[in-house]
Amino acid sequence: MGNLRQIAIYGKGGIGKSTTTQNLTAGLAEAGKNVLVVGCDPKADSTRLLLGGLAQRTVLDTLREEGEDIEISDILKDGFKGTRCVESGGPEPGVGCAGRGIITSIGYLERLGAYTDDLDYVFYDVLGDVVCGGFAMPIREGKAKEIYIVASGEMMSLYAANNISKGIAKYATQGGVRLGGIICNSRNVDRELDLLKAFAKELGTQLIHFVPRDNIVQRAEIRKKTVIEFDPESAQANEYRQLAKAIENNKNFVIPTPMTQERLEEILVEYGLYD
Amino acid sequence: MTTVENREMRLGTIIGWDGSAKELIKQSAYDDRRDGKKGNGCGKGCGSGCKLCEIASPLNQETMCSNAIVQCQIGNLTDCVLITHAPIGCDGETPKFNLTMHMGLARRGKPQQNTLNMSTNLQEKDMVFGASEKLRAAIRLAKERYNPKAIFIAMACATAIIGEDIDSVAEELEPEVGVPVIPLHCEGFRSKHWSTGFDVSFHGVLRQIVEKHPVKKQKDLINIVALWGTDWFTDLLKPLGLRVNYLLDNASFEEIRQASEAVATTTFCETLGGYMGAALEERFGIPQVDAPQPYGIKGTDAWLRAIAKIVGKEKEAEAFIESEHKRIEPKLKKFREYFKGKYGMVLTGSAYAHGLITVLNELGIKNEGALVFHHDPVYDGAGKNQDTLKELVETYGDIPNYTVSKTRAFQLPQLLKRSKTDFLIIRHPGLASVAGHLGVPTFALGDEHIPVGYDGIIRVGEILVGVLARTKFNQALQRHVRLPYNDWWFAQNDPFVLSNDEHVFDEIEERLKNA
Repeated sequence: MGNLRQIAIYGKGGIGKSTTTQNLTAGLAEAGKNVLVVGCDPKADSTRLLLGGLAQRTVLDTLREEGEDIEISDILKDGFKGTRCVESGGPEPGVGCAGRGIITSIGYLERLGAYTDDLDYVFYDVLGDVVCGGFAMPIREGKAKEIYIVASGEMMSLYAANNISKGIAKYATQGGVRLGGIICNSRNVDRELDLLKAFAKELGTQLIHFVPRDNIVQRAEIRKKTVIEFDPESAQANEYRQLAKAIENNKNFVIPTPMTQERLEEILVEYGLYD
Repeated sequence: MTTVENREMRLGTIIGWDGSAKELIKQSAYDDRRDGKKGNGCGKGCGSGCKLCEIASPLNQETMCSNAIVQCQIGNLTDCVLITHAPIGCDGETPKFNLTMHMGLARRGKPQQNTLNMSTNLQEKDMVFGASEKLRAAIRLAKERYNPKAIFIAMACATAIIGEDIDSVAEELEPEVGVPVIPLHCEGFRSKHWSTGFDVSFHGVLRQIVEKHPVKKQKDLINIVALWGTDWFTDLLKPLGLRVNYLLDNASFEEIRQASEAVATTTFCETLGGYMGAALEERFGIPQVDAPQPYGIKGTDAWLRAIAKIVGKEKEAEAFIESEHKRIEPKLKKFREYFKGKYGMVLTGSAYAHGLITVLNELGIKNEGALVFHHDPVYDGAGKNQDTLKELVETYGDIPNYTVSKTRAFQLPQLLKRSKTDFLIIRHPGLASVAGHLGVPTFALGDEHIPVGYDGIIRVGEILVGVLARTKFNQALQRHVRLPYNDWWFAQNDPFVLSNDEHVFDEIEERLKNA
């Protein structure tokens, strides 16, 4: 597993992490890479576009219903272009501990041998609100080595990205995790590109790709497909291919330098977000 | 509400302090707190909350928590089941509390039996998916296996973190099992001092077992909030025509139920009994005995007189007090002669320590230092005469080295160096064995009622004669046993040097580098 790239995607809830992750992994798969996508959200909707629907039984559901004597094939399904898809799942809302569920299920995937030698990439798609230690699991203990944060020009998304950076900085020394860059999933906010570039610079990282807003993403989603599968010739499909390529070639990995709330607000003022 | 506010919030309880007893009395401002004036801060003029200033220790040692206290209280009832809703390790002290159960039953002349304790034995999957179904199964099994009078559910750290809804499960299953199902919110991290566990236990029985409509009053019944001590309270209270009702250890459902029918409530230790006493007074008008604790001659006199006043037996009390004084006088005289020039040091729970030090003073033993495991600046619903530390100092004089510190054995060398003492009295046996290795004979006090009342003074005197006879043994032990502390630590004079000296860790690091 020497060349395995272990990547976690974080970002504010609703920013488009799952959509971005699946489209970019579709791009990597199309380029011949072996990719495993691990959904780390109790809602278990991180692999829907790759699988063509919510066809997946989650690790935790299987564990609960069938006990510990299960096969990897019970929980791992092949999706678009051979992407391997797993959903961690979680308890029903309001009981138990979803965070602990992530820890349990990642440990379980390791024991079942989900991380095979032929893999080029593992992607962890983590739910937006990192409310407890469990949701930080992918960046602890060296499970993920690279983090990409999905953000837009909206203030709350940058606030969340800054907070996530604090978590990365905290675990960077023990698990060796690094920030690989910011992915902008555009909301068509004024001066969004400049703002995101400035924000990334302040964090000590890069804006790795600016994904423009395009309704084709929604149309593909309704049909339970990534854009690359739904309309491979579209401009948006190329955007995701470019993102995949940027990640493939990325060499810029840093321990982020999160900013104070005051500094974050200064940047927002500077780029006219408060007008 | 099924939850109890923890002691540090409710009373301003602290676990780290060092100074003279007089200064602590001043900073505690008992009377102000009793009157509800919370704005005085620590009494030194800093802050405005109810908390005293305390020493934070970077090194802590402890073997108890609120959950463990619930296990040793509720877990020691004779006909009720305690289910600890936790991984099995939280029940690790069950053998110890089963022993206390047996010893207590023997001391009280009750038939021997084991504790009725169960654990939901939670595993990883229970943490992820929730464990309420296991809890339901445990409650049903408890009913089937033991047919108890009540079933208690103790929360633990793990179940509290995942927010197990024990209140709803209790409410849901109560009609099915047909006995009270009582949730106890006693997770260990809720309070930095285990004594919150006492309050949680009392709160549970007060809400769901104690008779809410005590129509039939028992005018000869007095509640004694106690642990497992021998029944010496009967000797003290029978002359006033009273029967004792011990709460909670070794008690039955019926004994707890009738608490609201009693004529008064008292205790061997105000820090233990405060919550129960206050609640019974507030809810049912059963007076707490507003007097010093029943230790030493003056204290026992005052305590008996206060009870006599409540039950209208002043004449009987006076006659009893007079005859008791006469009875113990010759023995006491001998002991005072024997212990002349001796020094002692007490290391126990807070208000109980005040009682024990009182007894040492009665025996003519001086005290330069004392250690209590925590300090409550005021007790729940306490009366004017229940300020136990003030009572002690006003009667017998100041204690220059009065230390508040949890069971931190590592501070023993400094405590012993600072205060002259010929022996130690320690209530937690783990601490006692360390002290024994430091060359000082130690009385590991198990039966907490030993020092109570007039005979208590004599009992302690007799035991201490035996303890002092071991002096040479302990000195020999010290020469032959190595404790885990290095010379540098033994050379320190301040038990709180880790907190008080800002350079101490640099010094330690330097020493390690050069080692």
